[in-house]
Amino acid sequence: MQAEDRLDVERLGGFAGMGGPGARIRSTGSLHGRELSAADRGRVAALFGGAKPPDGHPGAADGFRYRLTLHRDGASPAVVEVPEAAVPGPVRDCVHDELT
Amino acid sequence: MRMTCTCHIVPKDILERLAGDKKLSTELRRAARDSARLSDGLRNLRSQAAELTQLAQATGAHLVELAPSPKVTVYDCKHSQTLPGTPVPGAKTSRDATAKRCFAETTQVAKFFKSVFGRNSIDDAGMTMMSSVHFGKNYNNAMWNGTQMVYGDGDGKLFVDFTQGDDVIGHELTHGVTQHSLQLAYSGDAGGLNESLSDCFGSMFRQWSAKQDVTQADWLIGADIMGPTAKSRGFKALRNMAKPDDKAALAPQPTKYSQITAGMDPHYSSGPPNLAFCTACVTLGGHSWEKIGQVWYAALTTSGAHPKMTMPQFAARTRQLAAQKYPSQAVVAAAVDAGWKKVGL
Repeated sequence: MQAEDRLDVERLGGFAGMGGPGARIRSTGSLHGRELSAADRGRVAALFGGAKPPDGHPGAADGFRYRLTLHRDGASPAVVEVPEAAVPGPVRDCVHDELT
Repeated sequence: MRMTCTCHIVPKDILERLAGDKKLSTELRRAARDSARLSDGLRNLRSQAAELTQLAQATGAHLVELAPSPKVTVYDCKHSQTLPGTPVPGAKTSRDATAKRCFAETTQVAKFFKSVFGRNSIDDAGMTMMSSVHFGKNYNNAMWNGTQMVYGDGDGKLFVDFTQGDDVIGHELTHGVTQHSLQLAYSGDAGGLNESLSDCFGSMFRQWSAKQDVTQADWLIGADIMGPTAKSRGFKALRNMAKPDDKAALAPQPTKYSQITAGMDPHYSSGPPNLAFCTACVTLGGHSWEKIGQVWYAALTTSGAHPKMTMPQFAARTRQLAAQKYPSQAVVAAAVDAGWKKVGL
């Protein structure tokens, strides 16, 4: 991920079923690569590069997932969906929950 | 044996790239190579742990009872996302109201499962019931991570402290029971059933605690964790088991099995089985946990491991069990039948 790239973030699932059809809570955020450390940009880049996120524990439930959309000039947006443990803290923290 | 993985692991392909990067020192490259191999090893161990659990269930080999009753432990994440956090000593009498409440309600859920269903803790072998509170910052969630419960404090606007919902605590613990019994997957029909079972037993626990019969119960999930902003907009709960499409629910759900489609979030597809359970209970009357709850518990715990169970299969199983467990009380089977017919099954 480059400094000028934009990352749109949507948080899904959880006990409240955020992001589901008809759900009244939307949980979204956005940031640019320059707002992340080089290490975190690398972690985000790895997710879009096909890196396998850490396995969720068998039987785990009600965890959040994050849908990440990477916008880069001259390229189509790329989308991945990953478990919360794979998302760097600053990316998680950019998300806000709102009633629709 | 359980392996947990709640920390971020550097992706293996990055480790392998670092291991092959001649610009790095030999020592660093060796460390990266060894980490990649360990990562593979840990993944294999987790897969094997899951297979072992399924095999043990399938062969009926039950764990030796670990304890006659479960120990209840509470940890404080201090607003980080590192688990389990620091232990809260003497949680029963802690000055931290969240930790104290978590301890009290978890202990009550253990008593509920023991006295109502004869179950000794999550695994029916007395395993310790471990919870972490103050997870994350303004964290609007509670979850079961495969080995423990995790509770956020809420943002104070949409949600308050998630330990304030006794149905929430019952819900999360039931995910553990499901993991140690039916082993339902978290997608498709099985995912919706997984979520529904947690809502059913969470609601039963709430009703049992309040000594409510089915007419006194509100059948709401998450009513006690609604924050002031949600309440001011007229929302009364996350879900409504009696009326899944309730517009006053933050997450309205379908009411018929035919409305469920592939890829649906389990919290959405749990609507029809929730309504089936509620309808069966209200049709029969009395206390939800006494007969219909017993049928649902038997379906959960005597069907073996069935990760991909469909809702029609679960419905059939409850109909069969209702007739078997209450052969001289046709009204029980009739109530279960009415519940499933309500949702088109």
